[in-house]
Amino acid sequence: MNDDIDPQAFAELQQQAGADFVIELIETFADEGPQMLAALQAAMAEGDATGRRRAAHSIKSNAHTFGATRLAELARAIELSTEAPDAAALQALQDELPRALQALRTRAGAQA
Amino acid sequence: MSGFQRFGSVEIHPDRRELRMDGKTLTPGSRAMDVLLLLVQHRDRLVTKDELLERVWPGLVVEENNLQVHVSALRKLLGSQAIATVPGLGYRFALEPSTGPAEPAPARPADEAPAEGHHVLVADDNKVNRLLLARSLELMGHRVSTAENGRQALERVRAGGFDLLLLDLEMPELDGFALLETLHADPELRELPVIITSSVEGVGPVARCIELGADDFLHKPVNPTLLKARVAASLERRRARQEQRALVARLRAQLPATPARAAAAAPAAEAPRRTTATVLALRLPDLAAADDAAASLELLDACRTLLHDAVNSHGGQLVGEPGDGLVAVFGHRATQADAGPMEAVRTALEMLEMLDMLNAERGALGQPAARCAIGLAAGEVLVGPSGARWVCIGEPVQRAGTLQTLAEAAGRAANGEHTVLLDEAVHAAVAGRVACEAVKPGSVAVPKGGVHALRS
Repeated sequence: MNDDIDPQAFAELQQQAGADFVIELIETFADEGPQMLAALQAAMAEGDATGRRRAAHSIKSNAHTFGATRLAELARAIELSTEAPDAAALQALQDELPRALQALRTRAGAQA
Repeated sequence: MSGFQRFGSVEIHPDRRELRMDGKTLTPGSRAMDVLLLLVQHRDRLVTKDELLERVWPGLVVEENNLQVHVSALRKLLGSQAIATVPGLGYRFALEPSTGPAEPAPARPADEAPAEGHHVLVADDNKVNRLLLARSLELMGHRVSTAENGRQALERVRAGGFDLLLLDLEMPELDGFALLETLHADPELRELPVIITSSVEGVGPVARCIELGADDFLHKPVNPTLLKARVAASLERRRARQEQRALVARLRAQLPATPARAAAAAPAAEAPRRTTATVLALRLPDLAAADDAAASLELLDACRTLLHDAVNSHGGQLVGEPGDGLVAVFGHRATQADAGPMEAVRTALEMLEMLDMLNAERGALGQPAARCAIGLAAGEVLVGPSGARWVCIGEPVQRAGTLQTLAEAAGRAANGEHTVLLDEAVHAAVAGRVACEAVKPGSVAVPKGGVHALRS
């Protein structure tokens, strides 16, 4: 399965919390993720570096939890960027979030 | 549930961790209770010291003296015959079980759940993190509450009832650093162990958190094995601190109350002053000559904690700690001007009582006792803080030192007993309130003004 999800991290999460609980956790992320993206977008539009770092940090943190490696890398780049990131970086993250969520649901469904 | 087990007048309920004697509930500290339950569980055999240390303090390196103090506390509660010592090896619960039915135990209130796990607060603004940490902790058997930001976490901590805080750093309203600072500055809250959980990068934030009083730091995503180990370690440290305080409080409760304890509890800002005060000079003279150097230093370390506590609890101030000795001053604060001699004497008696508890255990294990020689002298001194420590100078300091040396000689002459010698000024202030006897000419070289020995 080539979906930018770290299989070991995802398996460990299921082992830690239980496969059913991970499904709930993915749906929580599906609810929260778009709000985090909206906060990130607003912070970038206002030139609010602190808000931008905090929102990107949250997405990175959750992405790491699920083993969503590409999503985590994109969020980390925005979080740690010393200058205001360009629109392409934000767009890449916006595109990756639903892909990652779908991949996580597929894995959770396949392995639950 | 197995109910109360009876051993004569002693009744023990292992599941509820309850202990009664002659129908009265006794409340040993939780560590002492652990020791007791283990001994009762294996009462058909010797329980080795190593087994007790390993089972009661899992994963920790603990001095054997700690175990001895707990056994000693249990013997004080239940009678010395309750726990037999097998010298050099371990202990055995020595009371015989009673055959008659146990009297029914008082029922536990319906709303009081049996103690299981600990109550942990998880503070994280990220819902996924919050849910996952809460779930992981619940699976470990803990009760979990959550907070969505630092301010909410502070309100909940202030409301009380938590054993541990898991704290995220990046949070709105009040971030993790600010919350840590607030907790650390509050004497009521700083005892709560805090583990930081964060995905911040670099060692700077980790170091800052530790400086601000955090117990530990876990990087997100949190590894469940590390989480379990560090939560257990933090709770263990908290329990050890609480147990130590409870033991000292219990020992102190057995001694007469003194007005100086209130003064000691609320130290005011101090300025150097010239005043009449009482100086206590102590030495544990046998340690330096003992064959087993490592055991001597270990014992010295154990004694120091007890001795410091005795000084502090009577409003005294430590002003020197040369090698195996200690010098403290009493009555140096304006509010306790006349209390110095009596508080110094009470401190000496408390020190002897605590040392005797340690010695009883050491004697049972075939180890030599720690003998104590104390000199007490009163007069005008110059006393006050000097940098990070306190100093006390003046003739009474030398006189107390001389009396302490004489006490060593007198103790040796009296088959190694603790000896406390008082100068005339201290004796005049405490005469009639404590038992003293004039030291006979010839037994020690008596300085001018006479010397009195305290009878404990």
